[in-house]
Amino acid sequence: MSDIFTYLNQKEVIDSIVLIGSMALFFVGLFGLLSQKHIIKIFISISIMEISIFLLFVGSTFVKGYTAPILGDGFEKFVGMNDPIPHAMILTAIVIGMAVFALGMSFAIEYYKLTGITDIDKMREMRR
Amino acid sequence: MNLKRDVAVQTYSGLGLSALLAITILNIMLHNMPQSVKRAGEKLLEINSQDGVANAVTTVVVYFRGFDTLGEIAVLFIASLGIGLVLSSHSEHHHKVESSFILKTASKLLFPIIILFGIYVMVYGHLSPGGGFQGGVIVASAFLLLLISHQDFELSHSVISAFETLAGVSYVIIGLMGLWILDNFLGNFIPHDISQMGMLVSGGIIPLIYIIVGIKVGSEMSMIVQNLLKRSDNE
Repeated sequence: MSDIFTYLNQKEVIDSIVLIGSMALFFVGLFGLLSQKHIIKIFISISIMEISIFLLFVGSTFVKGYTAPILGDGFEKFVGMNDPIPHAMILTAIVIGMAVFALGMSFAIEYYKLTGITDIDKMREMRR
Repeated sequence: MNLKRDVAVQTYSGLGLSALLAITILNIMLHNMPQSVKRAGEKLLEINSQDGVANAVTTVVVYFRGFDTLGEIAVLFIASLGIGLVLSSHSEHHHKVESSFILKTASKLLFPIIILFGIYVMVYGHLSPGGGFQGGVIVASAFLLLLISHQDFELSHSVISAFETLAGVSYVIIGLMGLWILDNFLGNFIPHDISQMGMLVSGGIIPLIYIIVGIKVGSEMSMIVQNLLKRSDNE
């Protein structure tokens, strides 16, 4: 049993697990985006794809034994700490992603109020 | 043409293309990622302590890529503006369902505590995990609680836009003062001694900017929440 854990704790193996998992989530979102007809489900699929990218960035900085890049609690120097750049990027991207998702939702709600349609195949306003 | 057959062909070709794309990306990334992408921040961590801020993520967000953060806040502002524009087009009123006494009292009790926690997360953003974005969203969640439980509660547009404008303008003014004093936009012109690292007042402009970001994100998110809630009420 401990052999499995030592194998899984290798850096390359952790990287591969993070990468394959987030890619799988990405393609779950992509499949939803392509196969669903309801507009809100399409927005949710896009959101799932976005979250898989966040997972990839945050997970790719993981190194076993490293801490968060914050001083204090006995840490005096920035040594043995995780890379702060992906964290900083994803931190802002989560908030922006939520706001843009809300914007898309508001368009969908308003379109439904005006026409009563949620199926994207029936949206014919732009097809002249 | 046969519709069923068309759909089947589209689905299979889509799945095949997705699988091909997945295999290609995995092949590229598994071979290249671990060495090249991993340690981009080593150098940044080395020069990080010059700014006297204990939280390296905050330094990256507010200082090294402060200009990008200004742009991201602009994106957030535009999204909030779009939601307000789309959803406030009609305003018919409807009968309101009164909340229960327990819900009202509990939300009134919790509201100041959540606001206080949001402000704490904002102000201590340079010392501990957290910061302006997170604190702003916590403040917005407090307003969400109050908006759900009290049907007649409404945020004043003028107060929220005053906060938002003030925060946006002061971000740019601090950046321009850095340009004026130190010849680079968002330069850290307030004295920041490295010996004060870990204190509440340390790091020069960095905590100041993060509080400004928190005010802006909080007001924008509260406005988004109110627009979505009040609009979807009007059935």
